[in-house]
Amino acid sequence: MEKTINRRDFIKTTTATTAGVATLATGITLTTFVNANENPVTNEKRWGMLIDTNRLTETDIDGMVGACQKEHGWGSDKLSTGDQKASWIKKLKVKDTATGRISNLALMCQHCEEPPCVDVCPTNASMKREDGIVLVDKHLCIGCRYCMMACPYEARSFVHEELTDQKEHMPRGKGTVESCTMCVHKVDKGEQPACVASVNSDAVIFGDLYDSSSKINQTLKKVQSTQIRADLNLNTAVRYSGI
Amino acid sequence: MNRWIILFFSLIMTGAFAHGQKTHSLGDEADSIKDSGKTYHESISVIRKMHPEFLNHKRDKTLREGVRTEEYSLKGCVTCHATKKDNSNDYHPVNSEGQFCSTCHKKVATSVDCFSCHRTTPAQGAK
Repeated sequence: MEKTINRRDFIKTTTATTAGVATLATGITLTTFVNANENPVTNEKRWGMLIDTNRLTETDIDGMVGACQKEHGWGSDKLSTGDQKASWIKKLKVKDTATGRISNLALMCQHCEEPPCVDVCPTNASMKREDGIVLVDKHLCIGCRYCMMACPYEARSFVHEELTDQKEHMPRGKGTVESCTMCVHKVDKGEQPACVASVNSDAVIFGDLYDSSSKINQTLKKVQSTQIRADLNLNTAVRYSGI
Repeated sequence: MNRWIILFFSLIMTGAFAHGQKTHSLGDEADSIKDSGKTYHESISVIRKMHPEFLNHKRDKTLREGVRTEEYSLKGCVTCHATKKDNSNDYHPVNSEGQFCSTCHKKVATSVDCFSCHRTTPAQGAK
């Protein structure tokens, strides 16, 4: 079949189809996608988490790690060994050397307001959403791992092997850096992050730090809480009480 | 002389078999939409030519701004254009030999980078 098309015809058809697309797209917007997140997130919200280490048991922390692995599909990388293994959230034991008191923490990306990982990223892959969630744009990530070095919490991992059968909502691939996303795909749907949902008690509270009617905002007003490495002035969105 | 005859016949046969091959499937969901007479993409030529731009635009909207509409979502592409394996409930990866994405991309020698990270089959529980 001979297909020759001159410039004039091409412009004509393209204009016609574009107009068609525009008309139809408007219709679709009105009907099908009315409940989806159509609008960009704004800085009127800032998602955060409060972890009460007095109430959080070791079993709870293991449950949180397990829930994160299940949700995002990390932790079963076969070829990675030792430090190469992904670790989005980990159990951390801290000991007060003066008193000998031991507390257990769940440590993940702290979603800083001034994230060092974003500062050092050469390709703008490391980024902070308007609502405070810090993410890696793997489309732009070149795997240089500067962000991993810059992060004071060692919250990020690098994928060392080719992966298949990833979760639909969590693309992961060799040569890119990844970390806790605060379950952004769930948060955008109005749900809680997987780790928060896995804890039965109120030991972990998730919510909007700016909303004065939210549970996290009200609790933070009442109880003493701290940021890990508060001396760095990163203003983290994950806060801890009881340490 | 015999050599030429053999060559001639083999060429003819190859041509005949190649022609008789089943045309590439659009994917289970996409086929059923097409068979029902409905259209999903407004224009095949536009989607063929512009899908990389649509996807690139959408990925930034989704990842950076949290806009999670179905329009031009890669998840949507995979859900519709994946084909089930014979006698099995599993899907062929869309980027595997002879499947929807790879057929054209192989022909035009353009690599698809999506699937080094993205899932290549519809998630379990999806249609």
